[in-house]
Amino acid sequence: MLKNKVTFKILFLLIICDIFETAIHFFFKKSALAQSSKAIVDIASALDFLKATFGSPYLWLGLFFVVAVFIIWSMVLTKIDLSVAVPIASFSYILIPLVSIIFLHEQITVLRWLGVFLVLIGVIFVSLSSKERLEQAK
Amino acid sequence: MKQGLLLILSLIALTSLCDTISQLFLKSAIDFLKFKPPFNIIRIFKFIFKLISNPWLWVGFGFSLISLCVWLIVLSRADLNFAFSADSMHYIFIAVASRLILKEKFTSFRWLGTGLIVLGIIFVSLS
Repeated sequence: MLKNKVTFKILFLLIICDIFETAIHFFFKKSALAQSSKAIVDIASALDFLKATFGSPYLWLGLFFVVAVFIIWSMVLTKIDLSVAVPIASFSYILIPLVSIIFLHEQITVLRWLGVFLVLIGVIFVSLSSKERLEQAK
Repeated sequence: MKQGLLLILSLIALTSLCDTISQLFLKSAIDFLKFKPPFNIIRIFKFIFKLISNPWLWVGFGFSLISLCVWLIVLSRADLNFAFSADSMHYIFIAVASRLILKEKFTSFRWLGTGLIVLGIIFVSLS
């Protein structure tokens, strides 16, 4: 039985997931950027970089969102199937480039946007070929 | 520059691989418990308690931690928008692992999806 009834509440939770997922990587990026002056050439310098990064409040803020996404996502998946949830939750593929442009001043070429959309369509295709969908089709 | 790109892509592959291994361990830990509805607070707490006493879960968490560390190193030297799209490489690893280890059957739709992800990552990396 395919659970595909996306209510307003579930849609809201999935959009929160998209936003929080974006927040996770934004904050991780901020914590890593703060230490970007450190050169990483060997294991010792990598550990030194990680030690400094784990002291950053941005990293812990990111981890807080990891836990929040995990809880919301688990709640959503008890109500609807993965193949329905993943396409809606994949909008972070669009949100992250937007946040990168606005807040991190990164530049994105047309070719890269094209790549982003191909990845997004690919992710949606993979999730649509899930087990419950296949059983439904029989 | 090209050599730098190759290094970053290898690190992203490493974090994706650790992520995939972590997911496989989490899945085996959860499958082992065979948790079925009804989901009420007491049963959920019991489930969580059993889950955290499962060693596979902690092996999974160990790989997650390695994945996070490598991811932070990646982010310190690559653009977020590039790294995030390239990180969807884990779909490829999961596809390979499901096919080879779990012997799952694949539809042509899934191959098409995985192919599009590969193509997308190539486009994102080229620019």
